[in-house]
Amino acid sequence: MKKALWVISFLLLFAHAGTLPAELRDETALDARTRDVAKTLRCTVCQNESIWDSKADLARQMREVVRERLAQGQSPEEIQAYFQSRYGDYILLEPTKSGMNWLLWTGPFVLLGVGGIILYLVLRRWVARTPAIRMEELQPLDEAHRKRIEEELKSFD
Amino acid sequence: MKGWHVATIVVILGIIGLFYAGLGRDPRSIPSVLVGKEAPVFSGPDVQSGEILALDAYKGKVIVLNFWASWCQECRLEHQNLLAIHRQFRNYPDFVMLGIDYQDQPGDAIVFLNSFGSTYPHVRDIKGTIAIDYGVYGVPETFVIDSHGMIRFKYVGPIVGPVYTQITDQIIRPLLEGKELQR
Repeated sequence: MKKALWVISFLLLFAHAGTLPAELRDETALDARTRDVAKTLRCTVCQNESIWDSKADLARQMREVVRERLAQGQSPEEIQAYFQSRYGDYILLEPTKSGMNWLLWTGPFVLLGVGGIILYLVLRRWVARTPAIRMEELQPLDEAHRKRIEEELKSFD
Repeated sequence: MKGWHVATIVVILGIIGLFYAGLGRDPRSIPSVLVGKEAPVFSGPDVQSGEILALDAYKGKVIVLNFWASWCQECRLEHQNLLAIHRQFRNYPDFVMLGIDYQDQPGDAIVFLNSFGSTYPHVRDIKGTIAIDYGVYGVPETFVIDSHGMIRFKYVGPIVGPVYTQITDQIIRPLLEGKELQR
């Protein structure tokens, strides 16, 4: 009997979770969406920090604008476009994948590829220039070296 | 292989040239996307009277919009110049000057205006939304809006020195006299 009471009181602890007021549950969803959008926007008065991470007044006010616009039903893209229309591309932490910005996105990989090709060509030339050793040119191991190797090997035993 | 050498040298020189050109630029200057665009509308309470002021009420006028705050040192520096701009053009029927008080305590703003002087209205930007709508980074920033409601000029920093004559002689006066801006 006592055990059953414990179980019931334990379950009651979590019972309220399902009965949260609707607006409060919406609030947390809105929080999460605000965070997702705010993390893509640069705090304009900080050093490479998003408006979500920054404690600056301007960042706080921008987060509020993001939240209000999401609550009004705007999409994250619409909100990003709004900030871009006011602050330019600079406001976006990730440059958009369009126009000259493709250079930023693909540039490092293109350079890596070009570097790799150059490295390959240069190495191949070096290898081609170095004459291969033929078996008949190899010198037999002389007696002194053979003895030394055997002694070294013995010292491991 | 000689072609390769030449190409490499050209690329390296190109990169050096790019960096060198960047040295001469102001790292803080970011071109405003708002110049040439329609001025965002706004409304808010007057700092001193509390009466609601709206940009819409000034349609067809040339508007100088100055974002400031009482805690901002550079705003103190430019304040007398702003009053001088207002004095210079106040007799033009189509001239309007508005201050936007940004991230400020109302009491502090009133003390600032009482001690340094105020001849034109100031709007309180309570939640910072007017500033964000105008892409403001920090105060002071000054905008000039033409009679068609287009933003024609933006300046970040105090209106002191050569900028003062630039804004009065090359921006405000031509706009008031219906002339094209020389750029």
